[in-house]
Amino acid sequence: MKFSFEWLKSVLKFDLNPKEIQEILTLNLAETTLLKRGTRLILEIELLPDRIRNCSSHLGLAKEIALLKGKKFSWPAVKVKEVKTKTKDYLNIKIQTKNCNRYVSRVIFNVKVKESPKWLKERLKDCGLRSINNIVDASNYVMLLTGQPLHVFDFDKIEGQEKKKEIIVRQGKNNEKITTLEGKEYLLNEEVMVISSLKDALAIAGIKGGKKAEVDQNTKNIILESAHFEGSAIRKASRLISLKTDASYRFEHNLPLELSNYAIDLLANLIQELAGGEILKGKIDVFKKNGKKEKKLIVLEWQKINKFLGVNLDKKEVLEKLRNLDFQILKKTENYLLISPNRNNYREFNYQEEVIGEIARIKGFNNFPSCPPEEILKLPEENENWRLKNELKSWLKGFNLEEVYNYSFISKGEGELFQDKTKKLISLKNPISENFYYLRPTLLFNFLKNVKDNFRFFDKVRLFEIGKIYYFEKSFVVEKEVFSGVLAEKEKNKSKDLFYEGKGIIETLFEKFGLLKEDYKIKEINEEGYKSFFKKGIEVLDNENNFLGVIGLIKNEIKEIYDLKSGEIVFWEIDLENFKKMIIQEIEFQPLPLYPAVIRDISFFIKKSVLIDNILFTIQNSGVKYLEDVDLFDIYEKEGEEKSLSFHLVFRSKEKTLTSEEVDQEMEKIYNSLKNIGAKIR
Amino acid sequence: MISDLEQILNLAQQEIQKINTLKELENWKIKYLGRKSDLSLFLKSLKNFPLAERKEKGRRANQIRESLLELLKKKERVLKENSFAFDDFFDITQPGKKIPLSHLHPLTLVLNEIVGIFEKLGFQIIEGPDIETEYYNFDALRIPKDHPARDMWDTFWIQSDNPKERLLLKTHTSPFQIRFMETHQPPFRIIAPGRCFRYEATDVSHEIQFHQVEGLMVSEKVSLTNFKFIIEEFLKTFFKKKIEIRFRNSYFPFVSPSLEVDIKIKDKKTKSIYKDKWLEIMGAGMVHPELFEKVNYEKNRWQGFAFGLGVERLAMIKYNINDIRLFFSSDLRFLKQF
Repeated sequence: MKFSFEWLKSVLKFDLNPKEIQEILTLNLAETTLLKRGTRLILEIELLPDRIRNCSSHLGLAKEIALLKGKKFSWPAVKVKEVKTKTKDYLNIKIQTKNCNRYVSRVIFNVKVKESPKWLKERLKDCGLRSINNIVDASNYVMLLTGQPLHVFDFDKIEGQEKKKEIIVRQGKNNEKITTLEGKEYLLNEEVMVISSLKDALAIAGIKGGKKAEVDQNTKNIILESAHFEGSAIRKASRLISLKTDASYRFEHNLPLELSNYAIDLLANLIQELAGGEILKGKIDVFKKNGKKEKKLIVLEWQKINKFLGVNLDKKEVLEKLRNLDFQILKKTENYLLISPNRNNYREFNYQEEVIGEIARIKGFNNFPSCPPEEILKLPEENENWRLKNELKSWLKGFNLEEVYNYSFISKGEGELFQDKTKKLISLKNPISENFYYLRPTLLFNFLKNVKDNFRFFDKVRLFEIGKIYYFEKSFVVEKEVFSGVLAEKEKNKSKDLFYEGKGIIETLFEKFGLLKEDYKIKEINEEGYKSFFKKGIEVLDNENNFLGVIGLIKNEIKEIYDLKSGEIVFWEIDLENFKKMIIQEIEFQPLPLYPAVIRDISFFIKKSVLIDNILFTIQNSGVKYLEDVDLFDIYEKEGEEKSLSFHLVFRSKEKTLTSEEVDQEMEKIYNSLKNIGAKIR
Repeated sequence: MISDLEQILNLAQQEIQKINTLKELENWKIKYLGRKSDLSLFLKSLKNFPLAERKEKGRRANQIRESLLELLKKKERVLKENSFAFDDFFDITQPGKKIPLSHLHPLTLVLNEIVGIFEKLGFQIIEGPDIETEYYNFDALRIPKDHPARDMWDTFWIQSDNPKERLLLKTHTSPFQIRFMETHQPPFRIIAPGRCFRYEATDVSHEIQFHQVEGLMVSEKVSLTNFKFIIEEFLKTFFKKKIEIRFRNSYFPFVSPSLEVDIKIKDKKTKSIYKDKWLEIMGAGMVHPELFEKVNYEKNRWQGFAFGLGVERLAMIKYNINDIRLFFSSDLRFLKQF
């Protein structure tokens, strides 16, 4: 909001240094910049919502500056010279809506509409407003001075019974239309409040005036409006018809009720000064019945002030600041003050903390010391989830994967690729574009985009991310953390290598967190949501068949969507919560073995279709004793139907040193079992 | 043939000093200790001497032989140690083997640093959801519907079948304050990192998603001056550089008074694009008493401060990054720099 520096100076009547004012306002009110228009200075202030009520005017800001400079300032009193003719003989006001708390009106006869004087035009221009004519400019000027939006109607353009005009404040009707001052037509409804004559809407209340009763060159008699509308109602209406104005902006912030009565008198005087005319006697001032609020009382404890701020403030200083803030001090005791905001105080206060905060603000936050808290020394409880994520990140980085942070969104098209009957995608009511349309149900899609983008500069892309996925399950929101990764290479024929590397990363990671092969199961992929992405994939389950995650090679159809024709991509995703449940946090030391191990190797041919899992199972279930570890160390696939496999077998007893004969006996059992599944021992 | 034993030793000693290669040493060994060396020939010729002389000369000859062997051993060790430089040549200036190296995301690094500093000050880490209800994100924080303050948070709304509870993507981490206080009694101090979302056009300093860290400390007497202390400790530790700090009035409905904390980098040597100007770092303030009422705390007993700081903003200043969108670009050329 723009403020004329000269204007402020003329209102305040004490000397101001522009740089100093800019600085003091920036620190204690809101960010302020100093602009220059010719020789005239303008303050541009980014007023915050809680200060519009009392600072969106030159008088309000002058009050604020005085306060920050430790001075007292009161709004000037105003007196109107009226003629004998009575306003009420010429005007009647009816409020027919709960959204209008007060409507104050005056009538002026025989004004002369003309161009505004230079000084007026300049002030409006400095504050960002256009000059129209002296009457309209006067109402804008008084708004800039007091903060109260005002409106002027042409008396003679309004219908009435005989000479007496009637103005009605009511909600709009469905399909009612109004043409505004700039000639734009708006379709109204019951949510939009209007100022109306007996026949038509004259203005959109609190937002914009209408063409019908517009002040023009021929206007002679005028009606002034100064009203108080309910902030939330104006806000709603302004959004509905997509029209924001200086007036609606101010009304939205619930202006002080008193202001309407004060501003209309200033306006009447100014119009008379600029356009002549006779101001009729008396105001029409219509209140809503419960329009006047009770006086609020606040107990301000001396001890609380000091405890809240952390320093002992001088009592005299506190009292002075309260008076400058226009508080009435109703009672003063050893322990507390009973205070009440007086009617000039245009801020709302309900709690003593708010008053103390205001005292701190005008004192300046930088004028307080910094003091270490006196608190109990206590170790914070450890956040296991946070720690686990950080440990995972270190390991994944160690596996030569780069960490990424992708968007939580996926595109509309990507959403259509996700097919899972039990999960529904979460979509936005107001997406910013089709590229950010759904919340991601997997980290896969964004990874594929990353691979595509990075393939422009790199032949290998290895990424991981720990992040959230989102979907509805039975109309409940599911939001859970996963750790996922992708290995991609442009080179062809790397599918197996990449797959086994990805699987190796998962297995090693699981082992690092104390999960051995027997603690989880690996199966052909079955999970619906993921299945459709993979040409070859597996899922990992815990021993109670809870889903842990997937790993697999991405289907060509999916890759092609991202223009990734050549090369291979392996993707995995592990559910962090389920993983966390399984891991053993504490590492427990195992005593070193007392007796030596005996290592035997075994090599055999077997049909390619026999899975390694089956072979390991066969060895372990052959009735063998003392077998500590089985380790596949060579695979050789020759042409034809068979492959050659070689294993190290480690035997050890906890009670004795094994003899060669004892181990031979155990090997015999393994040979026999393997032969049963078709192995040819070499 | 040199028949003077002492002369053999002398010559051998002189010669060995000049030797620089193992090859030369081998020749020296043949010359002085070989089968045809003077010393060997001398030993062989001992039998021609009278018995008494034979004994004495024999002892001396063996002493010399021991000395020569000792010399040989020493020299050999020295030469072998130096053999890198002389025998098998290789270029030590050649670059070392490339060890594949990966990186954590700059936001992880900065988040961990922020959280780490507050943990040292006794703050407990809390996490929470991204999808929030209107109540936690707005109403409980004194930002009612149809209130102009809502304009400060442009919101992504979630399409949901449940008409009773409007869902949204949290626009700030402040809902954590209410969620935590609903289930915990003071005194406490918490730090809560989280992802936030805003419905706005993106540019170099705005993104539709970003991260914040929320802090909340409540006890019977934690005060405004305590807040200043904690924040100053944090900023000085985090930036490690010379910075100026200032506290400015602001407005967030859930704190009163509301403050904005600005810093200015005062380092003559830095090339930072952020130096010498005031930079907004966080919003903060004293917790509004109505929040304590909302979570049913004992009346008029507790007080404290809250703050929310922008992680991307801190990372941009720390690493001199000029465009916020780089964080979510997943561009390896960017990520490999951290």
